Amino acid sequence: MTPIQMTFSTNFLLGLMGLTFHRTHLLSALLRLESMMLSLFLATSLWALQLSTINIATVPMLVLAFSACSASSGLRLLVATARTHGSDHMQNLNLLQC
Amino acid sequence: MSYLVCVLLFGLMVGSVGVAWNPSPYFAAMGLVMVSGVGCGVLICFGGSFLPLVFFLIYLGGMMVVFAFSAALSAEPYPYGWGNRSVKMYVAAYVLGVGCAWKVLLGKWSGFWGGILDESGELLVLRGDMMGVAAMHDVAGWMLVLGGLGLLLTLFVVLELVRGVSRGGLRTV
Repeated sequence: MTPIQMTFSTNFLLGLMGLTFHRTHLLSALLRLESMMLSLFLATSLWALQLSTINIATVPMLVLAFSACSASSGLRLLVATARTHGSDHMQNLNLLQC
Repeated sequence: MSYLVCVLLFGLMVGSVGVAWNPSPYFAAMGLVMVSGVGCGVLICFGGSFLPLVFFLIYLGGMMVVFAFSAALSAEPYPYGWGNRSVKMYVAAYVLGVGCAWKVLLGKWSGFWGGILDESGELLVLRGDMMGVAAMHDVAGWMLVLGGLGLLLTLFVVLELVRGVSRGGLRTV
């Protein structure tokens, strides 16, 4: 594996592990989602640049636009959580008790 | 040139460990700022001109600004950083894990990397990725329209759900 492939794969997996295991704040979960998206942008841009498939350069742009949509929805949920629960601690989100 | 890429990749790894493991979202946002800056440098080293600038602009100028002022909603009086005693062991474990993974999987570098590939044999001002993004306006025009409509829809969704009083997703606070 080349170092650059190793880097963005590890970046993605680290973000995923952080999202899975460290659950204190909702904002840090959103930040780890953004780091996963960032690694995907790097991967697709490097695909376009390294393999000379120029038309794939549209993929990172569109993926960035849709990740902005998801980030804004997540931040909207963060604002709603802060307004109803006072903070964004994940342990306060326990209304649904099954 | 490949030494510069190595240094930037190291910065990318440090930043991503910083985002993945950080008890306070303030410092995780700093890690994401570092990762986006260094990622822009990596893309430039691999020959891009437009895509790294878009990356820098949208991540730092768009998303990180919004995350930074939303971090006020998750405020703590004494945020934990990496220097805390209870935190150092976890950081060391993550760094060790990443180092072991690199040693095992990257034992033999296979393939050619670090070079800048070019299709035409001439010197051009605009590089390939600019042409690729131009294709988004030409061939993938409907996808661009769809993306714009999706963003507009997201705007209205966000505005409607944070409305409050009696018609939104929040009760009166």
